[in-house]
Amino acid sequence: MKHTIKTALRLTISIYVGVIWALVASANAQSVSEKQAVKMFESEVQEYVKLRNRVRENVPKLPKEATPEQIHTFMMAFQDATRAARSGAKPGEIFKPAVSEAIRATLKNHFRGDDRVELRKTIFEAENKSIPLKVNYPYPTSKEYTEMPPKLLLELPQLPKEVRYRFVGRNMLLMDRENNLIVDYMVNALP
Amino acid sequence: MNRSLMSVLLCVTLISGGIWTSAFSQNASHTNGTLPAANVRISLPRKEGSLRFAVIGDTGTGSKQQYQLGQLMALSREQFPFEFVLLLGDNMYGGETPKDFEQKFSEVYKPLLDAKVKFFATLGNHDLAVQANYANFNMDGKEYYRFKRGNVAFYSLNSNYMDQKQIKWLESELAADTSEWKICFFHHPPYSSAKKHGSHDSLRDVVEPIFVKYGVNVVLTGHDHVYERIKPQKGIYYFVSGAGGKLRSGDIDAKSPLTDRAFDKDMHFMLFEVVGNQLYFQAISRTGETVDTGVIANRRAKK
Repeated sequence: MKHTIKTALRLTISIYVGVIWALVASANAQSVSEKQAVKMFESEVQEYVKLRNRVRENVPKLPKEATPEQIHTFMMAFQDATRAARSGAKPGEIFKPAVSEAIRATLKNHFRGDDRVELRKTIFEAENKSIPLKVNYPYPTSKEYTEMPPKLLLELPQLPKEVRYRFVGRNMLLMDRENNLIVDYMVNALP
Repeated sequence: MNRSLMSVLLCVTLISGGIWTSAFSQNASHTNGTLPAANVRISLPRKEGSLRFAVIGDTGTGSKQQYQLGQLMALSREQFPFEFVLLLGDNMYGGETPKDFEQKFSEVYKPLLDAKVKFFATLGNHDLAVQANYANFNMDGKEYYRFKRGNVAFYSLNSNYMDQKQIKWLESELAADTSEWKICFFHHPPYSSAKKHGSHDSLRDVVEPIFVKYGVNVVLTGHDHVYERIKPQKGIYYFVSGAGGKLRSGDIDAKSPLTDRAFDKDMHFMLFEVVGNQLYFQAISRTGETVDTGVIANRRAKK
């Protein structure tokens, strides 16, 4: 009788240990693959930044104390030159499936928190839902930009200063800060 | 006798009214609209050597009302010569061509620009990042920056994109700042009783602990097209001043526990004066009415 109880106990403990080990291993494997996806994303972003910085060197300079005409000329020239340099760009070249999944998971987790009502209100009240999602096309200057929730920005993969995240409805865009071009986007990013 | 006196008084009133109207019409003739018959009564102390500045938010519509408010600001400067203006974002709605810059900014505030009054801008959710390079916004190509006048440090932040870099910059600048007054200005309000947008909790959760830790005294924001002075929060005075070009009439939640004073019936701008450890403020409507006035004491500052 005693022997049977001991055997049952050993068996139960073994099963528990096995399950916990499997869960930890799975979580680690997931986190390793997520890390790789983020690393790949960061490197793709860097490639874009290198390209746009090369392009920027050959457009009219933008002084720190510019006139509206200089700003306009710079923007137009920078947009045109970047679009020409990336003429074959397609959606998903930077937001590849693996990193998109990782970002979706971050967003899903973030939108579960206490702030979810305010976050959804901020994002969905913006009058920008009608903008066409087209890679390598400018975001219309007549449309407003959604404020990025600061706590979410701390959780997403960090970006160099030349580019930034932006929401348009449930979709997430990667935008060029200066030439206002949509670098890439992922649809249905928000839960 | 009484009737004669009444007639004289009536004549004087009509004549003076005519002079006012005539003066305003002349001023307004080149600025896209007729001004309301407004006079500005400055309630600030106007002490010698004090720091004086104006504040206006959500301006860039190019509307008749924006021009009227611009004229009123210029008029108020005759009595209260302020040195500079803080722009609280949404400096340009619906397009940013050179013509937009002219119609929505430089033409509106021409009398002030001609008088060498400097504008220091912050970016709103309708503003392109490249506005930071516009000479008249004095941002030196930066989306967030600091400048100092006397014993007051001003921090312009980009609340559209409060990322790790900006947070680190803000913390390090504030930590090293020994100014007696620290004033932050940006677009989105951490506290607001307006129904359209309201308080930005996510932003507040990140910036407020920094403001408290490093002794920020006053926070100026826009975004909601109303005026609101929030009851002091953790020792900080928050203002929403987002009706410099747009008005959202009746947008204030009258039941809000946050409000100390609110005004959502007309557009407005603000005037500030720093005298040692006292900061005086006055909010003025488009018709010249004082909608709020008061003084904030700073225990840290010298008298």
